[in-house]
Amino acid sequence: MPDPSLSKPPKVDEPSAPTFPRVGSRGDGGAADEFGLMIRLLPNQVVVGVIGEVDMATAPDLGCQLDALVDRGHTDVVLDLANLDFLDSSGLHAIEDTAARLRPAGGVLLIRSPSARTRWLLDVSEVSRLVEFEPSDPELVALGSEHQAGDSATIVSAAAGQTAAVGWATSLPTGHDVVDAALELVTALAQATVGGADGASVSIARHGRMGTVAATDDTVAQMDRDQYATGQGPCLAAAGEGHRFHVESVADDARWPDFVPRARAGGIGSILSTPLMAAAGRSVGALNIYSRTERAFGPPEQELAALFATQASRILDSAGVAAEQATRLQAALRVRELIAQAQGVVMARQGVSAAAASATLLRSSRQAHISLRRQATEITASTQRQVPLTGSEA
Amino acid sequence: MRRPIEMLERGRREVGLSQAELWFRYFELGGMSTALEVEAYLFGALIPTPHDGDLIAAALNERFSELGGDHPIPYSDDQ
Repeated sequence: MPDPSLSKPPKVDEPSAPTFPRVGSRGDGGAADEFGLMIRLLPNQVVVGVIGEVDMATAPDLGCQLDALVDRGHTDVVLDLANLDFLDSSGLHAIEDTAARLRPAGGVLLIRSPSARTRWLLDVSEVSRLVEFEPSDPELVALGSEHQAGDSATIVSAAAGQTAAVGWATSLPTGHDVVDAALELVTALAQATVGGADGASVSIARHGRMGTVAATDDTVAQMDRDQYATGQGPCLAAAGEGHRFHVESVADDARWPDFVPRARAGGIGSILSTPLMAAAGRSVGALNIYSRTERAFGPPEQELAALFATQASRILDSAGVAAEQATRLQAALRVRELIAQAQGVVMARQGVSAAAASATLLRSSRQAHISLRRQATEITASTQRQVPLTGSEA
Repeated sequence: MRRPIEMLERGRREVGLSQAELWFRYFELGGMSTALEVEAYLFGALIPTPHDGDLIAAALNERFSELGGDHPIPYSDDQ
């Protein structure tokens, strides 16, 4: 069966209105069968490695397995989330239920290697109060508590800025912090060079929700957050519709009745939001320039803003390419591992060298008219099902 | 040897894979040579081990089957 993750670029920058966040580390649906559990029984604990996506379809499997372990008297359960791609509320419930069952018995559910996103989910759902986190990653814990206190905008920027510390490399391109730094530079330059500008920010849609990835100061970040919170405003309109939105005078703009009073209260006089267009021609976010003065932005300022928006779009495009490559590389590493496992199985079964086992795999996949990856999957699976190794004899 | 080295490069052109893409697919199947080494294999500047040659052949053959074809490139131990 073909793996869609090989050819599919990650959808990290789909333009969309601010909706209730889809809880999970990726906005991407993925195949339904991308789920697995790896259970290791150690002398004093049991480690459950969760692989792939935990959603409504797969959460019951996870729940049953955890239940069974608790039933068998295991009190020290480690949930390894390093290979978790997606977690939704049903998965959170499964984790919560298990933790709640373990605690009265003096047991503990220890969470290992959660992504920043997963950690945040556990925090906001308060499941983190019932579980413990493996303390090997102090920066992660610090980041998690930041999340708990913050809101959507700070989460996006904090998480993206901590690439190295929290291992976001698995779900975001390496060097994502570099991208954010470049965007910070664009906002600083926009603020410094666009006449009348008192602050600037870049908002983009990540994981299906808008977030501020760069802002020159807190007021600006707060203005963006007010727009996300009210679901309206020039930033969202520009990102959503792909053209410029200009609030010449906050005092008499009637287009966004929920947001505009907040801007006025924040001392803002005018706002200019320019869409960020990806190479594919889609709008992926907006560059927002704020001024305390009314009617601060004339045609020259608007043109300058468009130039900065183009720069920001290019930076985001290159990040998208990097993300795609990272995803492909991850997928390739999975296939390599699978093939190496199958090779090991053949070596053990036939008592041959690695090279001979590799040759056997090549020949058998050709004979069976299936890809090497598929052949490897079947051979690896056959060790669990105890079915004979098909097509492996030349 | 039953598989002349030009066969790999000819196959690559036939299925329309860039050298980078071919290397990636070879890597995916377990290949350990760098992209530059693979390029050198294709042009005969380096001689791949039978195993490496087979992995390149397999990457090409899989591409041939994706395009609806057979596996035209032989492996090193083919009779």
